[in-house]
Amino acid sequence: MTGPLAGKRILDLSGLAGAYGTMLLAALGAEVVLVEPPTGNGLRKLPPFVPGAGGPESSLWFMWLGQGKRSVVLDLATDDGTSGLRKLYSTADAVVETAAPGTFEALGLGYEEAHRTSPGLSWVSVTPFGQTGPRRNWKGSNLIAWAASGILYQTGFMDKPPATPGGPVQLACHVAALNAASAVLLALRGRRASGRGQYVDISLQEAALAIAPEAGVPLSLDDGVHRQRSGNRRQAQRPFGLYPAADGWVSLLAVQPGHWTATAKWIAEVTGNDSLLDESFQNPAVRFQAGEYVDACMEEVTRPSSKLDLCVEGQRRGIPVTPVNTIADLRSDPHLAASGYFEETEHPVAGRFTRPGPPFRDNHGWWSLGRAPLLGEHTAELLS
Amino acid sequence: MAEPAAPLPLAGLRVFELSIAIAAPNCGRYLAHYGAEVFKVESPKNPDVARLFASSWARGRPELAPVLLDTSPYCSEMSAGKLSIALDLKHPRGLEAGRMLIAACDIFLTNYSAPAVRALGLDYEAVRAVRPDIVYVALPGFGSDPSLPYYNYLAWGPNQAPLVGLDNLTGFPDQPPCGVAAIAPPDYCSSLHGTVAVLAALEHRDATGEGTFVDVSQFEATVALLGPYVFEHSLTGRVQDRTGNRGPGAAPEGVYPSRGDDAWLAITVTDDAEWAALGRVAGSPAWAADARFATHDARLKHLDEIDELLAAWTAAYTASELAAWLQEAGVAAYPVLDNFSLVADPQVRDRRFYQVRRSSRFGRDLFTGHPMHFSETPGDVDRAGPILGEDTEPVLRDVCGYGDDEIASLIEAQAAFGPPLPELVLTRPYDGDLPAFIPGLGREDRRNR
Repeated sequence: MTGPLAGKRILDLSGLAGAYGTMLLAALGAEVVLVEPPTGNGLRKLPPFVPGAGGPESSLWFMWLGQGKRSVVLDLATDDGTSGLRKLYSTADAVVETAAPGTFEALGLGYEEAHRTSPGLSWVSVTPFGQTGPRRNWKGSNLIAWAASGILYQTGFMDKPPATPGGPVQLACHVAALNAASAVLLALRGRRASGRGQYVDISLQEAALAIAPEAGVPLSLDDGVHRQRSGNRRQAQRPFGLYPAADGWVSLLAVQPGHWTATAKWIAEVTGNDSLLDESFQNPAVRFQAGEYVDACMEEVTRPSSKLDLCVEGQRRGIPVTPVNTIADLRSDPHLAASGYFEETEHPVAGRFTRPGPPFRDNHGWWSLGRAPLLGEHTAELLS
Repeated sequence: MAEPAAPLPLAGLRVFELSIAIAAPNCGRYLAHYGAEVFKVESPKNPDVARLFASSWARGRPELAPVLLDTSPYCSEMSAGKLSIALDLKHPRGLEAGRMLIAACDIFLTNYSAPAVRALGLDYEAVRAVRPDIVYVALPGFGSDPSLPYYNYLAWGPNQAPLVGLDNLTGFPDQPPCGVAAIAPPDYCSSLHGTVAVLAALEHRDATGEGTFVDVSQFEATVALLGPYVFEHSLTGRVQDRTGNRGPGAAPEGVYPSRGDDAWLAITVTDDAEWAALGRVAGSPAWAADARFATHDARLKHLDEIDELLAAWTAAYTASELAAWLQEAGVAAYPVLDNFSLVADPQVRDRRFYQVRRSSRFGRDLFTGHPMHFSETPGDVDRAGPILGEDTEPVLRDVCGYGDDEIASLIEAQAAFGPPLPELVLTRPYDGDLPAFIPGLGREDRRNR
């Protein structure tokens, strides 16, 4: 069935901080028109690339985030380009862009201008620090957003520098992009009551701050704890964190009394060491005090077995255990395989390959995502 | 003549939120922010784990035992703007009241595990029987399909980031994974996808009158964000590993030591012009003119050496001054803020990111703000997090149509609960300092301007 956004046209002039959001809107039925400069959207230059291929169709980032979108090339340094964009504005429901504040205004193509002739148009801007404030013109990135959120400071081992959550995934950008997708939908809904579009200002710093409560200011003010990097084992509870397996790592935590009872029993059965069955270890504070010992006993269980075996056995015993999955592990994960999560798809340059499936499932079969467009593939069609 | 303020986009909509921890509550917070009336249905017999993380200063004080479940900062962080309806849904009369409430709601939101939802008799089929056009969004860890292998698995928040591939990608390549221990990205990814799903389903309902069931498996919603690395593995077999702080398209990019204790600066350079600018800010040392580093592709071959050279330079200065100089020159840089410096951050202060609103338990309470700012319909909430059961009686009366006698009987039977000690107003230990941290908040103000 066609998605619920069928009939809506979104102009996409965004980079990493918006592209995942506009891709979601495309998958839900909206017509997402990617407006690119002649050299192509910046995502087309990001590695990794299709091996042996060059040029604007070889970036796997673009192959992913461009899915479902149509491509129009406009050179905004020319009159043809600017008038083409104005024409598109007049047919669109919303614009999503991630340019530095003032970029479109300087070209006479900003929201105020567009809104004059198209009062129904909404506009979502995602920028590193928002449209207002003393640092609104500061440059950003995924890394900068994490640095500015207080979260980077708390991620990593104490004897190394802080490390980006999710590393090269660019997670903060996708969080901002998810907000942008909601912003478009809220603006469209608001327009039904008011008849008018509106402007939405999203800050990457704030999008990252909005996912920080567990590590954030209100919690820290309340408990007075100065939160620092604590590596891959948690403070205040043991066992809690990542433990080495024969083929990688597992995540294991004993949060509830039942988890610990089961864990102590597991350790005793596997290693013959039943010292942890002592009642005193039921107290989490005692377990934390004896953290090194508890962890060492835990590792005696985890080191010899594979991640998956540990998870099956741990879960069977009622202990929260999950594998620390690599990309390869995910592709062969039993649960994802059983749900048919990974899909085969095709691209003119890359050939056949596998992509993640939809992030959610609905009972109407809305999700539909075609391939990423070739550069300018739809220029003639959409601007004729 | 002034135009009337535009109504909030979700005004008039009602949400039944059966939730714990983060995923569903955070989604409910977004909905409340844009005008929905959100009923958080909870029970003191089986409280939300977020409430169980009670404030440390409140524990061990016997006089506060009855209200401990209202003290956690998560109450406002996750549920600012919501109403709290305390029902025991395992009690037949509590469930009946719950169904009456569902009948009045447009949206049903839950992140209870799928087995738990089913056991309560509140799965989609059961809820749809009560309200046929309901927008039902479930956010369980492993999805709602009982035939799948991990359906019955236990997974707490900290287990999810390892499962979905994020932990393995966090840390340095020559070290074990450090993991994303401080925060819970999969919960938020789930929550944000849930919000998009709710809004899309509302579009559908408005067009067709039909409800929708959306299953947001936290596992699948987060793996969905690993696109290029899944593609790559399927095309070449290469398994993306940890990269420290390096992202695609930047050279160099990293976190560098600066002057002070555990003080760091983050820098991202994305083109040759920025690299040249960085060199000038550093005083044009020899490495700034080194031909081996002149182009992006060249720098990619020497990142370790470049990082060492940069670190030798940055270590002499504070992160604040370095960031200011670099940004002035057009290079992305920022101090790696801890929470103490975060409160003083000029953007955070100027944009009033942290919010204070009236609180029945605390007079006023502080919570994380919202990252979207609408020009015509700026979202807002008028209260901090609710006392557990704060709104049970008025909602049962005004929304479900129960009479006073019925309500009293429900409470007597412990199928429903009112708020414990509603007149007891506490003060957070840092409340006196709030005006120093929060711009626009006077000593007596319950709301920052």
